[in-house]
Amino acid sequence: MSIIEFRQTSKHFGDLKVLDQVDLSIDAGQVVVLIGPSGSGKSTLLRCINGLEQITGGDLVVDGISVREGRRRLQQIRQEAGMVFQQFNLFPQMTALENVAFGPRKVRGTPAAEARAQALALLEKVGLKDRASHYPSELSGGQQQRVAIARALAIRPKVMLFDEPTSALDPELKQEVLSVMRQLAQEGMTMVVVTHEMAFARQVGTRLIFMENGKISVDGDPREMIGNPPSGRLRDFLQHVE
Amino acid sequence: MQTDWSVVLTFLPQLLAGAKVTLQITLFGLVGGTLLGVLAGLMRAYGGPILNAIAFAYVELIRGTPIVVQVMFLYFALPVLAGVRVDPMSAAILAIVVNAGAYIAEIVRGAFLSISRGLTEAGLAIGLPHWKVLLYIVGPLAFRRLIPPLGNQFIVSLKDTSLFIVIGVGELTRTGQEIMAANFRAVEIWTAVAVFYLLMTGSLTLLLRMVEKRMRIL
Ligand SMILES: Nc1ncnc2c1ncn2[C@@H]1O[C@H](COP(=O)(O)OP(=O)(O)OP(=O)(O)O)[C@@H](O)[C@H]1O
Ligand SMILES: [Mg+2]
Repeated sequence: MSIIEFRQTSKHFGDLKVLDQVDLSIDAGQVVVLIGPSGSGKSTLLRCINGLEQITGGDLVVDGISVREGRRRLQQIRQEAGMVFQQFNLFPQMTALENVAFGPRKVRGTPAAEARAQALALLEKVGLKDRASHYPSELSGGQQQRVAIARALAIRPKVMLFDEPTSALDPELKQEVLSVMRQLAQEGMTMVVVTHEMAFARQVGTRLIFMENGKISVDGDPREMIGNPPSGRLRDFLQHVE
Repeated sequence: MQTDWSVVLTFLPQLLAGAKVTLQITLFGLVGGTLLGVLAGLMRAYGGPILNAIAFAYVELIRGTPIVVQVMFLYFALPVLAGVRVDPMSAAILAIVVNAGAYIAEIVRGAFLSISRGLTEAGLAIGLPHWKVLLYIVGPLAFRRLIPPLGNQFIVSLKDTSLFIVIGVGELTRTGQEIMAANFRAVEIWTAVAVFYLLMTGSLTLLLRMVEKRMRIL
């Protein structure tokens, strides 16, 4: 059963066609790694899934709900699809714990004590229980990103969307974020990940998608695609990132 | 030229009464002006084309005309147009509401739009409706950035009340003028009036410093 389904989905910014009639079906449990040159539409594809960008053609169905069904339904989709941003985007006026507890409190109406306990458990899961009362400005980039993952998990999504979650991090901080993501994948979370970490794609990905000019140009098994690139442009691209 | 500072003491009750009127106009005017400014500022930032255009027209109309003309209009022209009687005090308060509201609208708009778009997206991405994102995330952050320029506007508005001398409302400057007309003690009276203004603006500045200190700018 597919949990995300692009049906001839297009996205324009004015005259610029950024997604070009994309057909893509993602099943529950898949870990899809999305790669491609800058400007090929990776972020846009991801952001259409949770309605941060509005599609301009075709349809896009997430967990049985179309992104075109209106604002209320979009909010439901967003509770099923958590998102992690390149720039973390933690709420600076809240502690790590408050950041994580915020969603359940305000979105799901979870009682404060329960939300707190859940948040603490999630912070423990990402290895940051001892940083619960720190503000984002007091955390390293890697720690902030792990809090951001916990914040997204707190609303109990069925899918997690990652847009270059480690690109803003120093090399030594990337690993702590990647290992949290790896653990999440092992637990069976459905994930769509834009990243250029090819080691992650090889080890954790169940599917690799290469995008070019708003289209999916190659879609297949990560190990096969990386080991033996079926297109010249993919080969060039892989050489470029590694 | 001889000065006689005892006249200040003699007229202290009148001066205090004038200062009280100044404070009343400022207080009521700024409460209203802040509410109006927040509303117009949010309309400017998030309102969609029609609400945005309405707020824009209001802001430009007020910023493009002097406050003295605005209060004259409210006091002398509005009664003619609308057939309602406006007393000087109401006209004065209304003038501050309308005038400060326009400047505060721009302050509010700027503060909200200065908060990173990513934070709004993070709020939306966890499934919050947009108004809750503004209320719980963007609003509190914008508020911190609002305080310094808002404080400035409060002080400007307080001093602007002195211009309402033109409609004869008995605020501090008008009071000074009346005392002057009776005894010609210009140095003493205008010094005293200036000191009263300084005390009021100084207290306001101090108060704002305290609020600012308690809030970390993020
Ligand atoms: N809000 C926007 N308004 C106008 N054009 C946009 C907007 N967002 C993205 N674009 C354009 O859409 C195209 C695809 O952008 P997108 O961010 O999806 O690419 P990407 O594959 O994620 O690139 P990168 O690797 O640099 O992040 C680019 O040409 C970009 O300039
Ligand atoms: Mg991108």
